[in-house]
Amino acid sequence: MGKLIKLLDKPLRTFTLYALLILAGSIPVYYAVVDYIWLKELDEHNTIVKEKIKESLATADIPAEEMALLLQHWNTILPGTSILASHQLKGRPDSIYTIDRLNRHQEKEEMDRFRGLSAIIAIDGKNYKLQIETNVEEASETFAAISIVTLSMFSLLAIGFILLNRRLSKNVWKPFHATLQKLSAFDLGKPNAIHFAPTNIEEFDVLNGSLQKLLDNNIATYKQQQTFIENAAHELQTPLAVLQSKLELLLQQDSATKATTDIIAAIELPLQRMSRINKNLLLLARIDNHQFPETENVDLAFIVGETLEMLDDYIDSKEIRLQQSLSTLVVKANKTLIEILVSNLVINAVTHNYRQGAIDIHLSGQTLTVSNSGKKELHSTRVFERFAIASTETASSGLGLSIVKEICQRYHWRLGYRFSHDKHQFSIGF
Amino acid sequence: MKVLIVEDESELAKDITQYLLAEHYVCEVAGSYREAEQKIALYDYDCILLDLMLPDGNGLQLLEQLQQQNKQEGIIIISAKNATDDKIKGLQNGADDYLTKPFHHAELSARIHSVIRRKQFAHTNIIENHELTIDLLAKTVKVHDQLVPLTKKEFALLLFFISNKNRVISKGALAEHLSGDMADMFDNHDFIYAHVKNLKKKLQQAGCDNYLTTMYGTGYKWEN
Repeated sequence: MGKLIKLLDKPLRTFTLYALLILAGSIPVYYAVVDYIWLKELDEHNTIVKEKIKESLATADIPAEEMALLLQHWNTILPGTSILASHQLKGRPDSIYTIDRLNRHQEKEEMDRFRGLSAIIAIDGKNYKLQIETNVEEASETFAAISIVTLSMFSLLAIGFILLNRRLSKNVWKPFHATLQKLSAFDLGKPNAIHFAPTNIEEFDVLNGSLQKLLDNNIATYKQQQTFIENAAHELQTPLAVLQSKLELLLQQDSATKATTDIIAAIELPLQRMSRINKNLLLLARIDNHQFPETENVDLAFIVGETLEMLDDYIDSKEIRLQQSLSTLVVKANKTLIEILVSNLVINAVTHNYRQGAIDIHLSGQTLTVSNSGKKELHSTRVFERFAIASTETASSGLGLSIVKEICQRYHWRLGYRFSHDKHQFSIGF
Repeated sequence: MKVLIVEDESELAKDITQYLLAEHYVCEVAGSYREAEQKIALYDYDCILLDLMLPDGNGLQLLEQLQQQNKQEGIIIISAKNATDDKIKGLQNGADDYLTKPFHHAELSARIHSVIRRKQFAHTNIIENHELTIDLLAKTVKVHDQLVPLTKKEFALLLFFISNKNRVISKGALAEHLSGDMADMFDNHDFIYAHVKNLKKKLQQAGCDNYLTTMYGTGYKWEN
């Protein structure tokens, strides 16, 4: 995977690279075009100068002896042109050339480039070779100038791309981020379904539409499942009640022998377990279905005290040492759920304890901690899963801690499990 | 005493009737909302056991009717739905007690006793049983006018036994009576043994005959 890049950065890289290639490729093209225009213009210029000289000399009507002197002065004073006697034939076509010459007029010696025109002209019947040279920008300088301009343009382009990209990613991706935020805040158990606002961007609308469909289906399936569990557990209550009722009547029979009552007692145990599991399943489904909506201020220490009082027989009969330090903590929640939460934690600490074990209950600050003696560390996340501790311990319904987790999730309380010094420690941060 | 059992599960209704026979109650069964409506309009009962979920109606509506007719029956809701709001609604609409299925018959019997006592003998809070005198308000027990110091739990057990005379009560039913719903979550109710032993000892020391017998270690029976 490596480093993740943003989606918009990907086309940006490609675009920038493409722009770089094109601009780099344009440098020689620009150069060629500029140089061609340059030279063409200079050739035209040289030709005009030639025609002017030719015309001027022809119309000036200078005597032959003066002519030699004039040409001598001409050639020494006037830069860029020279008129020399030539033996070449007048019919020779004009020639064009480019030449680099050393510039002696500057401190630093450097080569200058010249564009020249060489033509044979006739003055008073004599043939002369006229040479006109005009300074032209050196190829390397033109090239360098074009390169610099192009590269600065490229830099501007790249900076623009980056800035625009940032703004675009902020604006264009706004609906996407909104969708993302809604999705990560989504909780299947929550009753309020997600609604995506229209984005006026086709792709996002399609995405949102698909997500909506997917979520709606999931929510519907989930609700169906919850209702199913609730109904199933509910339907089981009546046959369970009838079974228990029959057993109790059987116990009343005068003819019942010890063997019979032993069997009745043996049936009662699994029946009770079944009824316990069923009750807890029903409870879980109802918590999931967001029943128990009303909230009030609940004194946690009071609830813990009440629970311990109800369970003292069970704690005593196992000879469990009970230590408690309870400071006042009032939480706003459903009272029934708090009672269930506390009793499930304490019942768990009693049933999964051994004889003469210990239970510590601490309530301080915003945290309730219930710990009990244990031998082996449990899996820290699986411990809260439904039926995860499918133990041989028949007293366990396998659902008590799932109910605790469910209640904590509903109120966004932090539920933790730790094992240290041979103690299972369950804590809830309110 | 007349008890009306409004319950669509006929087996359960039959069992309750049979269990309550020992109390010499006259039990009638209504298997549907309509039947219950008719019986309530025609007769008076001392206590009505009301299942909320009936095939042709909601038991809560029956409660409202009873209130409108200004009936004085003691009403105990017996429901498979352990929903707090139903419980609150029921109690607000005139029900006296609420019991969730499955329940022990002994528990039901004790609740019926308590409801009938409250309704019928509003001024006498004393139960007498041979040499035993139980004051429900003061929560005291006397044997031959001599006070027996009982703990809260021993007192509750004694009252429970008296409400279920001549019937075997399982340890589970006793545990649930003492610890409420939480007893459901445990398999071992041996602590009952210690409480019953103490109760027996205290009563005998005060000169009370022994009416309590242990039934093969599975339960207890108060025999008059």
